[in-house]
Amino acid sequence: MTTVKKYQNDVTPTWCPGCGDFSVLRSLQAAAARLNLDNHNLMTVSGIGCSGRISGYLKTYGFHSIHGRALPIAQGIKLTNPELTVIAMGGDGDGFAIGTNHTIHAMKRNIDITYIVMNNQIYGLTKGHTSPLSEKNFVTKSTPYGHIEDPLRPGLLALASGSGFVAQGFSAYQEQLIDIIIKAINHKGFSFINVFSPCVTFNKVNTYQWFREHLVNLDEDSDHDKTSFQNAMNKYIETGGLFTGILYENKQMEYHERLSKKHKTPIIYQNLDISESFDKLIEDFI
Amino acid sequence: MTNNITLMIGGTQGEGIVSTGNILIKTLSRLGYFTYGFRNFSSRIKGGHTNYIIEINTKEVLAYGDSLDILIAFDMESIEVNIDRLKEGGLVIYDSIINPENYFVRRDLGFLSFPFTDIAKKYGSCIMKNTSLLGLLGRLLNIHSQNIKDTVEETYKKKGQDILSKNFTVLDKTYEEPIENEEIKTRYNLNTSISEKRASMIGNEAIAFGALMAGCRFMAAYPITPASEIMEYLSEKLPDYGGIVLQTEDEIAAITMSLGSSYAGSRAMTASSGPGISLMMEGIGLAGMAEIPIVIVDVQRVGPSTGLPTKHEQSDIEFLYHGAHGEIPLIIVTPYSVEECFYQSIQAFNLAEKYQCPVIILSDLALGLSRQTIKSLDKNKITIDRGKIASGENLEETKLDFRRFDFTSDNISQRTLPGFLEGIHKVTGLEHSIIGTPNNYPDNRKKMMDKRLNKIRKLESQNNIDIFGTTNSSLLVLSIGSNYGIIKKVVEDYNLPVAYGAFKMIKPLPVKQLKELTEKYSKILIVENNARGQLASIIKQKLPCHDKFHNLLKYDGTPFKLAEIKSKIEEMI
Repeated sequence: MTTVKKYQNDVTPTWCPGCGDFSVLRSLQAAAARLNLDNHNLMTVSGIGCSGRISGYLKTYGFHSIHGRALPIAQGIKLTNPELTVIAMGGDGDGFAIGTNHTIHAMKRNIDITYIVMNNQIYGLTKGHTSPLSEKNFVTKSTPYGHIEDPLRPGLLALASGSGFVAQGFSAYQEQLIDIIIKAINHKGFSFINVFSPCVTFNKVNTYQWFREHLVNLDEDSDHDKTSFQNAMNKYIETGGLFTGILYENKQMEYHERLSKKHKTPIIYQNLDISESFDKLIEDFI
Repeated sequence: MTNNITLMIGGTQGEGIVSTGNILIKTLSRLGYFTYGFRNFSSRIKGGHTNYIIEINTKEVLAYGDSLDILIAFDMESIEVNIDRLKEGGLVIYDSIINPENYFVRRDLGFLSFPFTDIAKKYGSCIMKNTSLLGLLGRLLNIHSQNIKDTVEETYKKKGQDILSKNFTVLDKTYEEPIENEEIKTRYNLNTSISEKRASMIGNEAIAFGALMAGCRFMAAYPITPASEIMEYLSEKLPDYGGIVLQTEDEIAAITMSLGSSYAGSRAMTASSGPGISLMMEGIGLAGMAEIPIVIVDVQRVGPSTGLPTKHEQSDIEFLYHGAHGEIPLIIVTPYSVEECFYQSIQAFNLAEKYQCPVIILSDLALGLSRQTIKSLDKNKITIDRGKIASGENLEETKLDFRRFDFTSDNISQRTLPGFLEGIHKVTGLEHSIIGTPNNYPDNRKKMMDKRLNKIRKLESQNNIDIFGTTNSSLLVLSIGSNYGIIKKVVEDYNLPVAYGAFKMIKPLPVKQLKELTEKYSKILIVENNARGQLASIIKQKLPCHDKFHNLLKYDGTPFKLAEIKSKIEEMI
């Protein structure tokens, strides 16, 4: 049986003891193990911040990119070699501040990658600044009088942007998170998982305890029809976004399926030398 | 009879002046004539004055003359704005629906009224006045109507048989329309040229065509004037070869998505102009740090900020030369003709993969957009060298990650691609170890910096300036981009006894060759389109003899006139 060990390397994470990101890492390794993925065909791409380090902690190809740009890099990789399982990861700043534009368009584009946001509602690596997902009145070093803006609602944004798979997990509910990651990887198309991953050092409001008290489990909600867009929207509003489980899952045509038949052979296997076509191509200009 | 004509077609933007000029260029090129077209346009789609200058010659020509032989005007504004650009004895041809009688006092000029619109309306529709114009030019230049019909047919065949046959009728009727002035009928007849079907192209198409032949199979880009034609060409062609062009949400996504593609094993590129390149700079830095090959085209336009989007400048030189925060290995190639755009584009992909670093193809608006006749491209010069990509099958089994950033004698490490069984490694924009994991030890930091910066250093000793003209002169005129063509025309038309050279690469700067040139020539004039002499400034940083260098600068958004370069050279000889 494949175990998480297969996906572990000997790099020690820089995360604080108790950081929710440890659980995300382990859940991803466990999901990979249960899917028995080849290490060399697994590609992790991450952004910048505490969460961004995750691609360095797996025995896979790992691309620790720049702030907010994990998604375009991940999409470029997947478009070139669709045989890879591509997981993009990052923090709430990556996904919903500096990289929001890419998040929306990646969802719209629907390339078959999985995007895991490790959401701690704070900027941890800059030592405690507000995030676009921080709640109103949240006090940080950059909002010493309390944050006066309302937070973005990532699930609603994902639904509105066309993501065909929208789910939320919680670092403390590891079994559920593993299950969600497996389903996300198996979903043919863009899949989005917002993981509540508490920052034990800088976020003293949204703690493990706080989430345990506030989160509801959609997987236990028999009325929840996750294939209904309307229902997903309503459920998100009803729970105030405080839930775990799969909110929405509906297969839409994946990007590669929309491309012409000529793209059946992945770019990585294309013959680059087309000198025999030169005479035909130059004719266009004569 | 004549060997050389400079003509201008003027009218309102959006009325088909560009396609008309392009058809003329294509027709003439096929007959073996050389042409050079320059579009004057503004940042709008319909309305506003626009004109298309076309230089026609029996020999190679890479620039247009300062003054016009013929001005063809569809509207009064075209006459008002451009009449002073005509040569003495020049001819104004105007659509008979306008009446420029106020200008008839210009006795030095000839005036010919022609019923372009009337013929078009009578036998087709108003827009076909362009076809009528082609017909009249065909008559004046002594081109058989069938030659024009062939090009018109190819250009408009998608519009259907009815439209096509109306265009043909308009052409025939234009050829039959009486012209009273007998002398005009023969004055502009072109002498026969060496009959050879030549291609016509713009620099942007040549770069895109070169990229396709070089094996580029992925492009992510965001539209921008004057670079969009590169993605337009590849959008049309790449699907046939299994490649993908993706229009991204912004230029940041364009560069980073292309980097992802390249990292995964494709030959990838993006293209933009100043504003987009500014947004890409962080991604270019990542490519330098993470040693990922990538080709970026910058077709320069007037900056700063939005500047003049449709006007010409060469003012991104210093920005790119010094660009990206921190210090990265970066190569900047500088094609100076459409043919060079093709060859340098191929070379850019080879350099990017050989040196595992970003390569910028630095072009400019006049080179990127000016449609011109080109010499035949040599397909034997197409080579694909993918550099040190490891073979996926032959990698040794290892318990540790692959040493992607290993220290080597030439400072270039083997690449493995995701999917290779034994090639697993990490990539990061952080300073890193030989397996790509973050590493902040001072020793490692210094060694990694030296490795990255030294791997391209030997390019400094390559000869990357092409030298032409009178090489035993005391004056050398240096330039980059489209200025080469203008200087060549000045030197040849006026028989100036000077040497002139064009850069093919400015980073690494060809320091060895520049040293030799400063020893050989007593004066070096650097011609560039920016306000501060950016290229000269970079050269002076590397060479001591500053008193030898002189600058000729222009930054009003228009290319140099022949006279401006001529008088500077004459002043310096």
